[in-house]
Amino acid sequence: MNRVVITGIGVVTPIGSTRDTFWSALVEARSGIGPITIIPTERLNTRIAAQVLDFKPTDHFDPKREGLLDRFAQFAVVAARSALRDSQLELTEEIALDAATIIGNSTGGMNTLDDSFLKLYSQNGTRAHPLSIPRLMSNAACSAISMDLGLKGPTYTIASACSSGTHAIGQAFQMVRTGQSPIALTGGTEACLTVGTFKGWEALRVLSSDTCRPFSRTRSGLVLGEGAAMFVLEERDHAIARGAPIYAEMLGFGMSADAGDITAIDPSGAARAMRAALKDGKVNPDDIDYVNAHGTGTALNDKGETVALRHAFGDTADHLAVSSSKGVLGHSLGAAGAVELAATALALHHQIIPPTANFQEADPDCDLDYVPNTARNAPIKNAMSSSFAFGGLNAVLVLGRV
Amino acid sequence: MAIIDDVRSIIAKSLNIPVEQLTPDKRLDELGAESLDVIEIVFALEEKYDIAIPLQGSDASRVSASGKSEDKSEGQDKSGSSELPFATVGDVAEMVEKLVAAKASK
Repeated sequence: MNRVVITGIGVVTPIGSTRDTFWSALVEARSGIGPITIIPTERLNTRIAAQVLDFKPTDHFDPKREGLLDRFAQFAVVAARSALRDSQLELTEEIALDAATIIGNSTGGMNTLDDSFLKLYSQNGTRAHPLSIPRLMSNAACSAISMDLGLKGPTYTIASACSSGTHAIGQAFQMVRTGQSPIALTGGTEACLTVGTFKGWEALRVLSSDTCRPFSRTRSGLVLGEGAAMFVLEERDHAIARGAPIYAEMLGFGMSADAGDITAIDPSGAARAMRAALKDGKVNPDDIDYVNAHGTGTALNDKGETVALRHAFGDTADHLAVSSSKGVLGHSLGAAGAVELAATALALHHQIIPPTANFQEADPDCDLDYVPNTARNAPIKNAMSSSFAFGGLNAVLVLGRV
Repeated sequence: MAIIDDVRSIIAKSLNIPVEQLTPDKRLDELGAESLDVIEIVFALEEKYDIAIPLQGSDASRVSASGKSEDKSEGQDKSGSSELPFATVGDVAEMVEKLVAAKASK
């Protein structure tokens, strides 16, 4: 089995679309959550979201190409280009022919779908735009990356709601580990902040009206977000031989299904995925220093995730630093696992633990060290990043310091 | 049809329980309502009466069986925590009656 490392990171997020702006906002707990401005709000009860406000498609695509791509695919391509550039990898034909492109997104081109249906159902439209289908298909993002960068190996999309990004990266990790692909371009993307999406989430009554406060007693729900994060995964010896930048080593990947409730977290299912990732990476619980939590800021998740961490880590849970990046990034659903893995990899790279933003006061139901509001310099040997999805699908990755 | 009868039939349908068993004193958590059931019941009542019921997901989980069983597993007593929006079938009907009356008086 090959050892696998991360040699490139690219992001498009509400707090910045370069690796450095993203990392500094995370460390300084500068939240990307703000008033909704990218869509009409008169029919919404929700007032806030974590939007990518500085994204101008024409900065990245010529008009013809822009018209082919929904916002979620545009985010994906821009983040993928950044990741490849960051890796300094020269993409030879030999590498490109076997390079994998495995991307997670929980929906597809929701902006395209919303616009098209609005015209048809509400404005008496009689025809849809001819590019509606290629723009909205769930695999539009992975196909757009493959075409843009010329990656010609195994390419497909993984959809598992809020675990999509983590499942996709885990799959890509396996492909490089087994030697099926010499490199993989992988990550998650999501851009589904539409009126229809908000109304659906409002009906679930889990959206916060003030901000996202993971693990805080005063938490009031989640805040929807959008964005993308992409990675270049590479066989370790290949990366070392070419003198590549190496952010972290991919050590373990664990998955599980709760086979229970469709929305509520099951602590035993989540803990099984954590244990599976530790076992896969041959990492003992007490060798994990930092956990980037799913931490959505809902009453049920944060309490259930705390119980899961105690199940999986036992007594060593009290020595863990646990933080959620969602106070800063919101919840970008299928992109969340990827954006949070970028946070986890950069934490290992910089040896700094990013804090849980917007934390106000401790909750007796959430009794771990959540690194409230202030980043911490601390030696991090290994770190974990967790995602738990609606439908009971759990995915956990373990990374190691290089 | 009185509001209490609507409430009983909506809850009966959602939880798949014979309507005769849904006396006003029955608690939703003891009837096995999960948090998503509570949200569905509230939605059905909002649609039926064109009212807005103030309920957060966190409240839904507190009045549901899932919230209750989790509390048990952690051995914590939540009885002293802040007031629930409703607990019983009768509470739900009373809440709807108030909201319908408030709407009529506008």
